[in-house]
Amino acid sequence: MMDVKRVISTIERKYIINNLKKEERVDGRGLWEYRDFKIDTDMVASAEGSADVSLGETRIITGLKYDVGEPFPDLPNEGVCTIMAELLPLASPLFERGPPDEQSIELARVVDRGIRHADCVQTKKLCIKEKEAVYILFVDMYVINYAGNLIDCGGVSTLASLVSAHIPEGEYTENGIEWTGNYLTGEDIVNELPLVLTYGKIEDIIFSDPNLPEELVCDGKISVSVTEDKITSIQKSGAATFSLDEIRMLGKKSIEIGRELRNKLNFWQYKVKIE
Amino acid sequence: MVLIIKDEYPEKLFREDGKRLDGRDKTELRPLKMEVGVIENADGSAYLEWGNNKIFAAVYGPREVHPHHLAKPDRGILRVFYRMATYSVFDRKRPAPGRREKEISMIISDCIEPVLFLELYPGTAFEVFIEVIDADGGTRCASTTVASLALADAGVPMKSLVTSVAIGKIDGEIVVDLSGIEDKAGEADLPLAITWFNGEISLLQFDGAMDVEEFNKCLTLGKEAAEKIYQIQLDALRKKYISIQESVSGSSNASGGEE
Repeated sequence: MMDVKRVISTIERKYIINNLKKEERVDGRGLWEYRDFKIDTDMVASAEGSADVSLGETRIITGLKYDVGEPFPDLPNEGVCTIMAELLPLASPLFERGPPDEQSIELARVVDRGIRHADCVQTKKLCIKEKEAVYILFVDMYVINYAGNLIDCGGVSTLASLVSAHIPEGEYTENGIEWTGNYLTGEDIVNELPLVLTYGKIEDIIFSDPNLPEELVCDGKISVSVTEDKITSIQKSGAATFSLDEIRMLGKKSIEIGRELRNKLNFWQYKVKIE
Repeated sequence: MVLIIKDEYPEKLFREDGKRLDGRDKTELRPLKMEVGVIENADGSAYLEWGNNKIFAAVYGPREVHPHHLAKPDRGILRVFYRMATYSVFDRKRPAPGRREKEISMIISDCIEPVLFLELYPGTAFEVFIEVIDADGGTRCASTTVASLALADAGVPMKSLVTSVAIGKIDGEIVVDLSGIEDKAGEADLPLAITWFNGEISLLQFDGAMDVEEFNKCLTLGKEAAEKIYQIQLDALRKKYISIQESVSGSSNASGGEE
């Protein structure tokens, strides 16, 4: 059992800050170093795509389901992709039962925006017949263990479950929508691979991938979503303020770290092959 | 919910060679795998794979009761929350807990309570959270089994473990451990659980139609199957301590402390 507290003692807070000032982290990492990602995909037989992603001790299991419905009137030939997150009370004593709270909504929204504005999901390919029928994708994240930085873990988890997708392909006929016998896979629906990267800020020190104690003592966080060469969404949260120079630096840094992580994680290895 | 592939049931539940659709004999269990201590933050946790079922259970407690009026001054309370992930079933489940989940939470709680010494923990609660990640028939049995394992992993004093399994009737034959298809297309389903300290039945539901002789056969087969599952539960618990023992003795060997 890990010692999880809602409030961190002053002495522990000082220890974390003093370490950061020496460019060291309490878990031995460098300032811009990520914990290890561990990814397993397509392990949920009932889902049309799934991913089990660990970032250090943080673990999120994401699944993809689909529905066929009418498109929005202003986007008659585009499908819909919705993202939801649930902070299960089994994941941490800090999480409580009940309807989604601010933290789970922020997680879902930040991940969703990162994906939405990056030209990641090809919504036009999710159209079965214009104005009549489109796919509605549900990507649902379930937090299994919470040890800081849910957003980055959730982003990778969502992307990996989309890449591992295998959705039955429908055809519009007189008798309704019928299965063609083929599947739409991750390769068909995913274009860009956006990553969301979160930084913590304590006093004037900024660092990547805050772990749980760092997250509990930090003044604030900033999450930057990036594709190969573009910034696609940013969310600042918590009470910290960032200078213009810091934000410029983080924009540049995010593209660099994003490229490195994207290469390392090699998402396309998780696409599902259907015979 | 409009799905492109329809959820259809096969007409026959036995193959030509007399085996079940997934190749099992009538009294054969699906492959079972259990592990404890899988969720770092929890006081105790367990993970189970039973056929295509994938279930996590985590235990927190004894801890303060919220809302406070549920606390009992003379004893602790056990609260079980069984939930299914939206993607664990064929049709996406709605995210909010439904009536089925609440009922199953209650029967699991009632099933496990007899093995706990709740009178030793007045004013507190043990909370067991069960999350079904993938479902394929028999999740209430699997959840009961994994929940009792998580409680044992948390070091909660228990009279014994609890083991649960479903027996059913498909195409007129009594079979052990119904799969998802067998559960939906079969004629009868009888989940039961055994508390090993007294060998008695602590969970029993029955849906379907059977004559008395068939019913008695179910109970006998159920107990036999539960015994096999019980051994797997014990092995899962032992494995954790054996690995701790090995890591400790490994380090003492390195320092020359071998006996």
